[in-house]
Amino acid sequence: MEHQLPEEKVSYLQILKTAIFKENVIFRLVISLCPSIAVTNSVRNGFLLGIAVVFVQVMVNVTVAAIRKFIHPRIRIPIFMLIISGWVTIVDMIMAAYARAAYKEIGLYIQIIVAFASILARAEMFASKNKVLPSLFDGLGSSLGFLGALVTISFFRELLGKGTLLGHTIVNAKPLLIMVMPTGGFLVVGLLMGFFNWIDIRFYGGKGAGGAGGH
Amino acid sequence: MAVAKKEQELIVSVSPHIRSEESTSKIMWTVTLSLLPAFAMAVYYFGPRAIYVTALCVVGSLFSEWFVQRMAGKEIAVKDGSAFLTGVLLGLNMPSSVPFYIPLVASFVAVAITKQLFGGLGYNIFNPALMGRAFALITWPRAMTTWFTPTAAFMGMDATTTATPLGILKEEGVHKLLEVFGDKMTLYTKLLIGYRAGSLGETSVIALLIGAAFLLYKRYISWHIPVSFLATVGLLTWIFGGKEGLFTGDPIVHLLSGGLMLGAWFMATDYVTCPSVKKGQIVFGIGCGFLTALIRLKAGYPEGVMFAILLMNCFTPLIDRNLKSRVFGARKEAGK
Amino acid sequence: MEKEFLKLFELFIAASVINNFVFTRFLGLCIFFGVSKKMETAIGMSITFTAVMVISAALSWIVFHYVMIPLEITFLKIIIFIGIVAAFVQASDTIMRKVSPGLYYKLGVYLALISTNCIIIAVPLINAGENYNFLESLSFGLGSGIGFALALTIMASIREKLELADVPRPFRGMPIAWITTALIALAFTGFSGLITL
Repeated sequence: MEHQLPEEKVSYLQILKTAIFKENVIFRLVISLCPSIAVTNSVRNGFLLGIAVVFVQVMVNVTVAAIRKFIHPRIRIPIFMLIISGWVTIVDMIMAAYARAAYKEIGLYIQIIVAFASILARAEMFASKNKVLPSLFDGLGSSLGFLGALVTISFFRELLGKGTLLGHTIVNAKPLLIMVMPTGGFLVVGLLMGFFNWIDIRFYGGKGAGGAGGH
Repeated sequence: MAVAKKEQELIVSVSPHIRSEESTSKIMWTVTLSLLPAFAMAVYYFGPRAIYVTALCVVGSLFSEWFVQRMAGKEIAVKDGSAFLTGVLLGLNMPSSVPFYIPLVASFVAVAITKQLFGGLGYNIFNPALMGRAFALITWPRAMTTWFTPTAAFMGMDATTTATPLGILKEEGVHKLLEVFGDKMTLYTKLLIGYRAGSLGETSVIALLIGAAFLLYKRYISWHIPVSFLATVGLLTWIFGGKEGLFTGDPIVHLLSGGLMLGAWFMATDYVTCPSVKKGQIVFGIGCGFLTALIRLKAGYPEGVMFAILLMNCFTPLIDRNLKSRVFGARKEAGK
Repeated sequence: MEKEFLKLFELFIAASVINNFVFTRFLGLCIFFGVSKKMETAIGMSITFTAVMVISAALSWIVFHYVMIPLEITFLKIIIFIGIVAAFVQASDTIMRKVSPGLYYKLGVYLALISTNCIIIAVPLINAGENYNFLESLSFGLGSGIGFALALTIMASIREKLELADVPRPFRGMPIAWITTALIALAFTGFSGLITL
C-alpha cells in the first residue's frame, strides 16, 4: 500500500488505475464502509455523496501536499484532521444550500465524511510525501474508486428495490423492496464482494481473500 | 442420572451434533414425516393451493442446494433430506395465496444464502426456512399477509380474505375476536383444530402437537426449548397482554394462535441453530418467548415468533460460548 | 418526573437495540467489521468504546451549549466536535499510559482506532441536531455505546464459529461477514414500530 516509488517512474494514469481498481476503497481495502449502505438506496444519493468525497479528498490531498513542508511530523495527524474537517464543513454548507432535498436524507453522512479513514489514509500515506500534482491524481483516483463503488451498489439497490434509476421508472413494479432497506444494502455489498473475488480467483488466479479489514 | 450425563457430554463435544451422513438424512426424513399431519390439515383447509405452494418451496430448495454445491465444486448432497425439510417448513409458513415467485425466491434465500453460503448443513447461523420467510415478508408485505379463511370442503364455503386471530387481537382487541368466533370455548376449539386464517401449516395446533409428540418419543427433539419458549409466552401475555391492567391477558389465545406451535416445536429446535447445552437451550427458549411476547404486544408486527427465533439465532454462538466454557472449566477443576 | 425517566429509558433502548447504529443506521461499520474477528478484541473494543462514547457525548454537549451557542459558532460543529473527540482520546491515551499501564496494555490499541469510528462523531452531531438536553444526550450516548458493543459481541461470536465452516472460497472473510450482517439486520427489523420517538 506504500506509494513511495520515485514519481517519474509512475505515470499519473498508473496512479489512477491502481487507486480505482486494485485498491478500491470499498471492495478491496474494505474501509470507509458506512456510506456504502447508508446512502446507496438511490443512485442520486450515492452519486452526491461520492462527489462530496471526491471533492474533499482532492482538496485535502492538494492542501496537505502544498503545506507538507511546514507541518511538524509530530502534530501532523491533528493538522490533517483540521484540514479535513474544514473542507467537509465547506461541502456540507454547499450541499445544504444547493441540494436541499438530498441533504435532508444524506446530511448526517456528509458531515461524517470527516471520520473517513480513507481520506486521512491518503493524506498520510501519499500527500504528505509527494508533490501537489501527483497528490491530486492520487486523491482523484482513490475517491473515484469510491464514487464508482457507491454508484454500482446504488444502481442495483435502486433498480431492484424501487424499479427506478435516478428517479425514472424502469420497471413498473418494486421487484425486491428489501433492497432499499438496511438488509438489502449489506446483502448487495456482500454478494458483490464475493462476485469480485470469484472473478479474481477464476480469471486472474488471485487468492480472493477480499479485504484485510481495516477501519 | 448417569445416562443423562453421558448424553450431555456427547452433545457438548460435537458442535454440529450430526454424527454421520446416514443418521443426518434419517433425522431429516423423520422430521419431515412428523410434519405430515400438519400438511394434511393444510390440504384439508386450504385445498390444492397448499400442495402447490409447498411443492414450489421444495423444488426451489432442492434446486438451490444443488446449484450452490455445484458452483462451489462440493459433493452434491441433495438427497440427505435437509433441503427437502427446509422446503416443507418454508411451505408450511406461507399463506395459501402467494404468487408462484415468492416460494421460489424465498427458498433460494433460505437454502442458497442462509445455509450454503455459510458452509452448508451444520454451519448455518440462522434457521434457513425462517430466514426465507422473513425475506419474503419484508419484500412482499402485501402478498405475505393476505390471509384466506379456511374452506374445508364439507363446509361448502367460499374463500374470503380475512385477518389472522393475532391481527384482530392487535388491531381491535379480544372482544372483536369473540365477535368473529363466537364464545370463548368455540374460539379455543377452533384455534386448537386450526379452523382459522393463517399460514398453511401453522393453524392446526392438534396436528402440530401430534408431530411434536412423535419427535419427542423418537428423542429427536428435547422438551427444553419448546417448553421454556411456550411458558414464557404464556406468562408474559397473561401478565401484560390485557387492556384492563396486569394479569388480564388471555394466554391461551396467544399460545394457540400465530406460528407459535410450529415455531416452538419445529423451528426453534433446529439442531444447528440452537445452543447445544441444555442450560443454553432454556436460556434460548426464554429469550424466544420474551421476544415473541414483546413483538406481539408492543411492536409493529402482529406476529413475532419468526423474528424472535431469528434474533435468538444471533445469540446462539454467544450462549454456547459462555455456558460451554463454564462447563469445561468446572470439569477441569473437578479433575484436579 | 416519571415521564422524563421513561423518555430517557426509551432513548436508551431505541439507540441500543431498535435503531441500533450498526444494523439500522449503518454507522461504525469500519470498526464493526475490523475488530469483530476475535471475541477478545471485540470485548476490549466494546468497553473502551462505550466509555469514550458517553464521555465525549457529555463533553460535546457542554461545549455546544455553553460555548458554541453563546458565541454563535454552531456552524463550526463538525470541526469542534471532531476536535473534542480527538483531544479527549489523545488525553485519555496519555493519562491511561501513565496511571494504569496494565489497562493501557489491554485497551490502548482500541483507543487509537476509536477516533475513526463514525459513531463517535455522529452521536454529538445527532444530539445537537435533535436538541437533546444533557441527560438525554447522556442516555443516547450510553445507548449507542451499548448497542455497538452488543452488535460487536454478537458478530464476533458468529465469526468465530464461521472460522470452522466450509464457506465457499470467494465468500470467505469479508463477504460472508457482510452477508451475516445483512441477515442480522433482517432479524432486527422485527423490532420496527416498537418505540416511535
